[in-house]
Amino acid sequence: MSTLSPRRGLCSCLVLAFVWALGAAPAAAAPAPTAVSTPARAGPVYLVGGELHVGDGTVIKDAVIAMDGGLFTIVGGPEARAKLLDESMAVDLKGKLITPGLFAAETQLGIVEIDLEGSTRDDSKASEHPVRAAYEAAAALNAESALIPIQAIDGVTSAAVVPTGGLISGQVAIIDLVYGDHRGLAAQPRAAISAHLGQAHAGSRAATLAKLREVLGDARGYPARRAAYDRAQSRELSAHPLDLEALQPIFKQQAVLTLSADRASDILAALDLARDFNLKITIVGGAEAWKVADLLARAKVPVILEPTLNIPGGFDSMGARLDNAALLHRAGVTVALLAPGGTHNLRSLPQGAGIAVAHGLPWEAALTAITLAPARAYGVERTHGSVAVGKVANLVVWSGDPFELSSAPTEVYVRGVKLRGTTRQNLLRDRYRDLKQFSRGNK
Amino acid sequence: MKRRLPLLLGLVLVPGQLACGKRPQTAAPNPPAPAAAPVTPAATASGPRPKTLLRGAVVMTAAGKIYERADVLLEGDQIVAVGPELAAPGDAKIVDLSGKTLTPGIIDTHSHIGVYAAPGLAAHADGNEAIAPNTAGVRAVDAYFPQDPQIDRARAGGITTMQILPGSANLFGGRSVTVRLTPGVRSAAEARFPGAPAGLKMACGENPKRVYGEKGGPQTRMGNVAGYRDAFQKASEYQRSWTRYRKDHAEWLAKKDKPEPPVIGDDYDDDEPKDGKVGKDGKPAKKKGDEPQPPAVDFALETIAGVLRGEILVHNHCYRADEMAIMLDLAATYGFKIRSFHHATDAYKIADKLAAAGTAASVWADWWGFKAESFDGIRENAALLTQAGARAIIHSDSAVGIQRLNQEAAKAMHAGRRAGIPVSDDQALRWITANPAWALGIDAKTGTLEPGKLADLVVWSGNPFSVYTIAEQVYIAGEQVYVRGSLEPRTDFELGYLPGDLERSTPPLATTNAGSTP
Repeated sequence: MSTLSPRRGLCSCLVLAFVWALGAAPAAAAPAPTAVSTPARAGPVYLVGGELHVGDGTVIKDAVIAMDGGLFTIVGGPEARAKLLDESMAVDLKGKLITPGLFAAETQLGIVEIDLEGSTRDDSKASEHPVRAAYEAAAALNAESALIPIQAIDGVTSAAVVPTGGLISGQVAIIDLVYGDHRGLAAQPRAAISAHLGQAHAGSRAATLAKLREVLGDARGYPARRAAYDRAQSRELSAHPLDLEALQPIFKQQAVLTLSADRASDILAALDLARDFNLKITIVGGAEAWKVADLLARAKVPVILEPTLNIPGGFDSMGARLDNAALLHRAGVTVALLAPGGTHNLRSLPQGAGIAVAHGLPWEAALTAITLAPARAYGVERTHGSVAVGKVANLVVWSGDPFELSSAPTEVYVRGVKLRGTTRQNLLRDRYRDLKQFSRGNK
Repeated sequence: MKRRLPLLLGLVLVPGQLACGKRPQTAAPNPPAPAAAPVTPAATASGPRPKTLLRGAVVMTAAGKIYERADVLLEGDQIVAVGPELAAPGDAKIVDLSGKTLTPGIIDTHSHIGVYAAPGLAAHADGNEAIAPNTAGVRAVDAYFPQDPQIDRARAGGITTMQILPGSANLFGGRSVTVRLTPGVRSAAEARFPGAPAGLKMACGENPKRVYGEKGGPQTRMGNVAGYRDAFQKASEYQRSWTRYRKDHAEWLAKKDKPEPPVIGDDYDDDEPKDGKVGKDGKPAKKKGDEPQPPAVDFALETIAGVLRGEILVHNHCYRADEMAIMLDLAATYGFKIRSFHHATDAYKIADKLAAAGTAASVWADWWGFKAESFDGIRENAALLTQAGARAIIHSDSAVGIQRLNQEAAKAMHAGRRAGIPVSDDQALRWITANPAWALGIDAKTGTLEPGKLADLVVWSGNPFSVYTIAEQVYIAGEQVYVRGSLEPRTDFELGYLPGDLERSTPPLATTNAGSTP
C-alpha cells in the first residue's frame, strides 16, 4: 500500500488514502469525516433542518445555517430559509443534532508531537528567566502535526495553544484546526498570556505573587519610560523590554491573563491581582474554585477546569471534586472544561462534558463549557465558540448525543470547509486489519 | 496546573506483590502455609450465610449472556443463582434493582494506587525501586498504603479488584500484589485477594533505557534483552542447584531417615514466624551428620524461578510490536508464559501472535503519543485483538482512568464498531472483568456473574457504557461496600479536610459513611 508522505502532495495523497481506506473497510464502516483543509476559499454551504445547539445555551429547531468565506452568514429558524440564495443547494440535516465546533482549552496542539521527545517540543523557552511574555506559541506551530486531524475528525475545531514553563510562559495562540495550512492555522496569535500562581516562582507562593506584581508594575509603567530606558536612563527593570511590551495588551484588556491556580487562597490572590491592575483574567485549574464561587461570579472571572479531577493530588487541591463545574455554574461562573485526555486526546472533550453532566452540570451548560465558554476564557468569543452570524464557521453534525461514547461526528466544518480525508491512526488501523499480508518474514 | 496523565504512564513503578506463591513442593516435607484468610465478615461468619436477592436488573454476566431483566441470588460471599424470576428464599433480603444494571465487579490489571498514594508527596513515592535494572526481589505488597484516598475513588467507580504493580523503570520491577478494595483494612495483607498468585512486573523499551542509560545500563534495547536473558539464565541455574540439592537431600534422608529439609523463601512468601530450623544468620540451621546444605536463597532469583515454575505470572510493560515478539521468543526459549503485555499500543499489529501464544494484552482505549513507543496507538486496538481471538483487557495505569474503566471499554468498543469490527457488549464487558480476572489468575473466583463465583458486583444507574451512568452500589465478596450518597467510606488521610469535618463530635467509622459532601 502506498506509504504516504505527509509533507508532499498532501491533499491528493490524503484523498487517495481515504478512498483506499473505504475500499479496505467492511461495508458497515461509516465513512469518516476528515481533516484536511483545502486552503482554498470556502464557498457557500447551506445546512437546513437540523436541531442547532448554538453554544450559548439556546436551541434552534429546524435550523437554517449558511456559511460562506469561512464565516457564518445566516443562522436562524425555518423563517430564514427565505434568505438562502439557492435552496436547492441546501443539505438536509433533519433529525440531526448540530453544535458549534468544539474548542479545546489549554493545549499544546501543534507545538508538541511526542511528550517525551524534546526534539518534538516547542512549548517552552529554555530560559533561566521566569518572565517569557514575548514567547509566542504561534511562531512554533506545525500545521502538519499528526495530532491535528486526529482531534478534528472528532469535532474539535479550535484550540488554545499555550506555552508552558516559568512564571509567565508566553502568548497563547488560538488556532482553527486546518491541517496543513501553516500560514492560516493561527486565528489569533496573541489572544492571551499564560502565567502561574502557587509555587511557580522561587519555590514559594509569596515569592510568586511578589514577582508577578513587580513585573506587572514595571510593565504598566513601561510605555511612559520606554524612551528613558532606551537612553539607559531607567533603573533596571524586572524583565526584558520585549516581555514588558508583550504584556501591554492585558492592561487595555485586549488580551486575557490566564493564571493557573488550584488552592482557594491562590484563586483569591488572583482576584486581588486582577482588581489591582484592572486585568481581565481567567483561572486555569481551579480545583478548589467552588469554595470561592460567589467571588468568581461577582468578578466575572471564568474558570477552566478538569472535569474528572477528584483526587487530592496535593495539598493545593484537597477540595477537588467532581461537581466543581456544577457548583460554579450554579453560582453564575463561566465554566470551561479541559479535555481529560490532554493534547493527544482533545477528542475526549465531549466525554469530559458528559462526566460533568453526570455530576450535576446542566447539559446545555456543558456544551457551552466546551464551545463558547473557552472562547470567552481566552477573549475570542466575538469570533469563536458559537454558531452566530459573523463568527468563524466551525460546526459539527453528530450521529447522536455528542457527549455519548457511542456518538461521533458525521460532518465537521472548519472555517466553512467540510473535512475530508483521514488520519494517521486510521491508516495504521487499516494497514493492520488483515494480518495475513504480514507473512513474508522467516517463520 | 499540570497535566499529569501521560507522563506517568509506565513511568510509575511499583514493587511486587505478596506472594502467596506456592513454593516448590518437591521434596520439601513442610506443609505449605495456609493461604491468607479471607477478611470479609460474609466469608468468615460461622452461622447461616446471609442471603440477598438482587431483583429485576439488567444483568450483564460477562459470561456470554445479557438478561434484559433477571435476578442474582447471593449467599454469603458467593453468587448462587443467576436468572429471570428466581424464587426468593424465605430468609433472603430482597433488593429491588428495577431500572438498574448489574455487572461483575470491575477489575484493573494495572494500577499503582497505594504505592504512589495521593497526595503526590515525595514521601509517598513508593512505586519503583529504581536502584538497579533487576529488582525482582521487591514486592508491591510491602509498600501498599491502604490509606490512599485514591482507593475510595476507584471503589466508587465500580472497581472491586486491582493489581498493584511496581513501576517500569526496571527490567524486572518486582512482585505485584492483587488486592480487593474492601474498606476499613489496616494492612496490605488484609487487602490481598485470597489465593491470587503473585505477578512479576517486567518492562521493555524506553523506560529502563532512560532510567539506567547513564547509570551503568541498559542503555539500549540490546541491553534490555541481554538483561532479561541473563536473569532467566541465572534463575534456571538457581533452579537447577535447588533441584540438585533436593535430590541429594532426599538421598541423604533415605539413608539417614531423619530431619526435614528447610523450605526456601518461607518467611519471605508468607510472613510466617520463623521456626527453629532457621539459624542466626538466616541460613538453615545445621543438621547433624553430613546432611547436604541448601544453596543460598536469592529472593530476586526466587521470583524469576517462580516464573519458570509457572507459579508467578509475568506482567510485561511493552509497547512496540517487535519488542513484544522478542519477549514471546524469549519466553519460549526459557519455557515460561507471559500472562499479559501491558500498554501494548502496538498489540493490534501482532494480534495473531498474541492469540497463538495465549498472552493477553492490557491496553488503553485511546492513549497514545506521549512517548515514541506509543506513537502508533489506535482506538481499535482492543477490538482488533478480540477479532483475532486474542485476549484483550482495558487497563488504567491511572488513578483517574480507573474510576471509569466502563467508559474506557465503551470508547474502545464503539471505535471498533465504527470501523466495522464487531464487538458485542458482553465482549467489551469482559475486557474489564473476566479477562483481567484471567490475567491475574483469579478467574475461577471472580470476573463473571455465575453461580459459584464470588459476589463481586456493581449496580449501575443505567447502561455501563453510557457516559452518564454512575456506579450506585458495589459488593465485594457479598459485602456491600459502597452505596452512592449513603455509604461512601473514606480513608484516614482526608479526615478533617472536608468542610464540616471539624464540627463532628465523633469521627465516622472507617467502613461506614464518611460523611457528607458539603
